[in-house]
Amino acid sequence: MSPVPLKKEPMIIHPRPSSIVAALYTLRDLDVDVVILHGPPGCSFKHARLLEEDGLRVVTTALDESGFVFGGHDKLVKLLEKVIEKFDPKSIGIVGTCASMIIGEELHEAVLEVNPDVPVIEVEVHAGYPNNTKGVIITLESALAAGILSEEEFQRQKILLEEATEVEKRHGAASKEYLEPSRGDVKYTVAKRIIELLKEGKKGLTILNAKKETGYMFADINVAVNQVAKELGSTSEIINMANLDENLGLDRVRSHARNINRDLKKMGIKVHEIIGGLDEYPVAGKVVNRLIAEKYSDFDFAVITGVPHAIPMDNLQGMEVISVTNGPRQVLPLKEMGHEYVVVEIDLHPKTLGVSSIIESEFGATLRKLAQEERT
Amino acid sequence: MKQIAIYGKGGIGKSSTASNVAAACADEGYKVTIIGCDPKSDSSITLLRGERIPTVMELMQQGYEISEEDVVFEGYKGVKCVEVGGPEPGIGCAGRGIIVAIKMLQKKSSVMEDSDLIIYDVPGDIVCGGFAAPIRKGLVNDTYVLTSGEYMPLYAANNICKGFARLGNNLNGVICNSRNAENEETIVKAFAQELGSELLAFIPKDPIVQTCERAGYSVIEKQPDSEIAGVYRKLARAIMGRESSCKPRPLTDARLRELTG
Repeated sequence: MSPVPLKKEPMIIHPRPSSIVAALYTLRDLDVDVVILHGPPGCSFKHARLLEEDGLRVVTTALDESGFVFGGHDKLVKLLEKVIEKFDPKSIGIVGTCASMIIGEELHEAVLEVNPDVPVIEVEVHAGYPNNTKGVIITLESALAAGILSEEEFQRQKILLEEATEVEKRHGAASKEYLEPSRGDVKYTVAKRIIELLKEGKKGLTILNAKKETGYMFADINVAVNQVAKELGSTSEIINMANLDENLGLDRVRSHARNINRDLKKMGIKVHEIIGGLDEYPVAGKVVNRLIAEKYSDFDFAVITGVPHAIPMDNLQGMEVISVTNGPRQVLPLKEMGHEYVVVEIDLHPKTLGVSSIIESEFGATLRKLAQEERT
Repeated sequence: MKQIAIYGKGGIGKSSTASNVAAACADEGYKVTIIGCDPKSDSSITLLRGERIPTVMELMQQGYEISEEDVVFEGYKGVKCVEVGGPEPGIGCAGRGIIVAIKMLQKKSSVMEDSDLIIYDVPGDIVCGGFAAPIRKGLVNDTYVLTSGEYMPLYAANNICKGFARLGNNLNGVICNSRNAENEETIVKAFAQELGSELLAFIPKDPIVQTCERAGYSVIEKQPDSEIAGVYRKLARAIMGRESSCKPRPLTDARLRELTG
């Protein structure tokens, strides 16, 4: 039998999300205290810093030319000992980098030598995988091996990640060879259109399909639509859908759902349909699709926030679709899917780190301000 | 299951020794796998009648989804042959190739569980992390050093033992592949003893090895009744029966010079 060629993927020429960074975020989601990046000091700098905002300490063995040549085992041992002494962590992650993996560093040897009495998750990863979900899967495999993740949750995550990869290939950043970044439609114009629809009493859906902590800001837009409708005395029926199931996913992800639900309740905003957990953004679209067919097919418009390209267009065809993303490279694919308006919340993700309640978005603020001006 | 690696200076005869040991063990009814870790991918060629097989890295480079049957080929008396492959001299990183290929085999191949003997044929000195991957990933439990009685091969063998000492690996024995150096057996025997190990076999220099290899065969297959085939058989039995090993104590360079002087 001759070997089977892999499915031809489009040649993608812009940099892709890093599997090393994906490993870091996954370790954060697993509530690991300290992560050691075994590699050059500049590797994953920006994300390492951002994650410190979120309470995860990230340190590096800072391999230099001589480290590449002579190996970094001793540096890793030393840093592991220092981390234990300095931070007294309850769990530690060690994450590989391109440099350390190419020269064949064995993370496990350092762990054996130091023999810490807290769990250590060793992640042999580099940034050479075309899909960063690979970095998540490798991390979860190690977490499973270290006994801090159940087999059941591992299998669940694996399915979600495979689906996430498919979503990106279908309509996401991995769908085209090169995607021109775009700021999308002007927020003022789109906010005006939403206000028009509300004044006309059109029936609207707001769909929050957010990825984990990004929900803290995306939810603000769903909130704003509801608040503005009320303020304008709109007769529009508004149905809110959100992937805010509090009983799905890793503990950290569940706590985000709880926090957002708590805030929504405080603001008097009802979530009519729970469409999944905050890590189910790749599959929640199927639930949305079914719900629309069953109950909401006569609605006039939909405001979709978070990962709008994961919501199938099948049953949205008759509606005016307004989507809000945080990816400037997501604008073109969303327009091609048939969304009338696409708004970009630039730099949303960094603002949602280290946060535990809903925070104001630019688009939400624009909507509120315009509605206020309408009234006066 | 025995998982062994034979190390030694480039050109000293590791592949010849490995394939003859593999063939001799197959003759005795053992299930044998040989994993060639040299980018030249010639470890198993004499078990496959001179034929080259597709290598793991070459298939990966061409973008294939690799399964076991694409890279594992049966040679002489059912010996399973795998070649890791790797880049042309002077480009890329052969060491990384070994890491990637071995991880792939661990994941996708059952031959690694289903053998009585697995031989890793690793090139020359352990020049980078990747070449130590079979040892460091815990895939090798017995290691042998092959040398002649000349200074440079002994120097390389001694250096390799330094590597073992660092990796915490034991040495199971020294094998001498003769180059007809003066007092060769005595020298290598002394070298082995000073390391704390012993000389397991003295393979005399015999043109039959060359003749068989050129024709694409091992000595065991082509000249089973030759004297040297007997030496390989004896070595094979010694390896299969070997239980003892030592933490090697590498010699000083001065002592090495003295030994060969």
